[in-house]
Amino acid sequence: MNPNETDILLVEDSQDDADLALHALRREHLANNIFIARDGEEALDFLLCRGPFSERSFDHPPKLVLLDLKLPKVDGIEVLRQLKDDARTKSIPVIVLTSSKEERDLVRSYDLGANSYIQKPVDFEQFRETVKTVGLYWIVVNRLPPPGLARRSAEQGTS
Amino acid sequence: MEKPQLRVLLVEDNPNDRDLILRELTKGEFEITSEVAQTAEEFRLRVKTNCPDVVLADYNLGQWRGTEALDILREEGLDIPLILVSGVLGDVTAVECIKRGVTDYVLKDSLARLSVALRGALKDKRTREERQRAQESLAQKVEELARSNRDLEQFAYVASHDLQEPLRMVAAYTQLLGDRYRGKLDDQADKYIGYAVDGAARMQSLIQDLLAFSRVGRQQTELKNTDCNVIVSQAIRDLQAAIAESVAVINCEPLPSVQANESQLKQVFQNLIGNAIKFRGPETPVIHVSAQRQDSVWLFTVADNGIGISPEYAENIFTIFTRLHTRTEYPGNGIGLAICKKIIERHGGKIESLPREGGGSIFRFTLPAARIAEGQESG
Amino acid sequence: MTVKTAEILLVDDNPADRDLTIEALSQSLWPSNVSTAIDGADAMTFLRREGKYNKATRPNLVLLDLNLPRKDGRSVLAEMKSNAALRRIPVVIFSTSQAPLDVERCYDLGANSYVSKPSTLQDWMTAVKLLKEFWIGCACLPREEN
Repeated sequence: MNPNETDILLVEDSQDDADLALHALRREHLANNIFIARDGEEALDFLLCRGPFSERSFDHPPKLVLLDLKLPKVDGIEVLRQLKDDARTKSIPVIVLTSSKEERDLVRSYDLGANSYIQKPVDFEQFRETVKTVGLYWIVVNRLPPPGLARRSAEQGTS
Repeated sequence: MEKPQLRVLLVEDNPNDRDLILRELTKGEFEITSEVAQTAEEFRLRVKTNCPDVVLADYNLGQWRGTEALDILREEGLDIPLILVSGVLGDVTAVECIKRGVTDYVLKDSLARLSVALRGALKDKRTREERQRAQESLAQKVEELARSNRDLEQFAYVASHDLQEPLRMVAAYTQLLGDRYRGKLDDQADKYIGYAVDGAARMQSLIQDLLAFSRVGRQQTELKNTDCNVIVSQAIRDLQAAIAESVAVINCEPLPSVQANESQLKQVFQNLIGNAIKFRGPETPVIHVSAQRQDSVWLFTVADNGIGISPEYAENIFTIFTRLHTRTEYPGNGIGLAICKKIIERHGGKIESLPREGGGSIFRFTLPAARIAEGQESG
Repeated sequence: MTVKTAEILLVDDNPADRDLTIEALSQSLWPSNVSTAIDGADAMTFLRREGKYNKATRPNLVLLDLNLPRKDGRSVLAEMKSNAALRRIPVVIFSTSQAPLDVERCYDLGANSYVSKPSTLQDWMTAVKLLKEFWIGCACLPREEN
């Protein structure tokens, strides 16, 4: 699969949760190309087009990032902070999808610019419903930022 | 009857020849005003100041040749006929002179021919001037037309764009009224609200089509190497619902790559194939897409076995908002083909429709063949 | 952690559009209170709980039109996202504009989402219902702190 054609970047270290999400996304025919990053560092490398992902282009960002918070190497909050700080990636919609029940995490995430925050349902059926709603809303109703524009305006210093 | 005026500049250093020529001129059909120049400098000066209608120059002028007068005329940017008058002029020299731009030549012992030569020279000049004026006038009209077209397109775009919002309000609220009060007022009210809702919906649809049509003109036609096989696949994918519903069969031969605007070309295929499905007959629609190379163009064909088009409408259907059927028979505003035509013409091609033997229609359009390496083109 | 009844602030200068959105919001299952602001300045006053709005409840979600009199939507967005207390409130741009430049600009200013106002009644209803289903039925919204 061409990493430049990723529809959704799923950042999830738990294999079970990743499988669940993948299964739900595929079942709802929401995305053809889903890339799974297993830790915060991989997620950042992917989105910042560096390291093993230096072939990736800022002009072809994923449509959506589903970000868990509890991640090895670099945690979700830090990933969020870096993404939203960088003009080339700040427009990519990031939805925090976490099992955390901490109010603190909720507030921090929105403060750092997360587009939305969802608590992972434990029940598979509910999870499927959630994934369906996420897809329907974010990809069908919501207008995604036009790819390429962010990088260009960052380069021209107009953002 | 008065003789027409003619100003002559005579380039002649021999006084006898000069008198001879002048005498011949006065016998002719023109009222002559004449001047004489002997040297190149004098010639240049006089021709600039007095702007003669014609120059008569002796070929042999001692220090210089009459043909040099031609060079001087060219340098000064003057379009004045030059007739060479000469004693003996070999045929070769004569042809040379004419090739260089001398209008005519007259031998000194056949001066009677002078009148004819003059007449001819002047006629040529007049014709040249008329053609020039006509060209300028045409260029101006073309520019005016282009500007007028641009203004019109701009207007169509702005109008349809700005009409969308108030239209949305009317459409949405008449529908809400209908939903809320259906059956609660009287039958008449239900009917009236129904008319308003339909009218608004039609307007919305028309405006959207108008916008789509005028957008074609506004888009930069950025031409890229486009693989038509990919484009047609995309169009077919977007028509999935209609294809499934009609159980249509689409056969697609291998297609070439051309220089085109991808999204616009996709629209063309989508409109043509979509129409083929929409205007289907009682049988299962079978649609055939193919391409043939013809000299410097590719000729694309979309053929179907549908209801066909009467030949008398074959040209008309490409006009915006032309429909051949009522809305209850077939939906649509009649803009798909107008958009196709606009797109194809902007790409430098032509589109036409023909009846298909055995029933149905054939739509053909040309696109210039890409000037890239032949090896890249398939088919 | 999720709110009981969502407080939505709808900012739109067109009363017809406002009513349409309120109608659509009321049709959804999830309970919500809708407050409205008719221009950008009004919206900021409401959010800051100043003047006549000093008893207002801070919204959990803002639906924001872009072309507003007095202060336009982009300014409101920028002000909200640079304010420590207000930046955490999700802002969904709800505008007639479909221009890619507008969309990009809003995301860049920190908009959480961007929805173009649909042209038909049915699509409008569907869009708003899905909006509510996601933001109120599915997502966690920041609760108002005291």
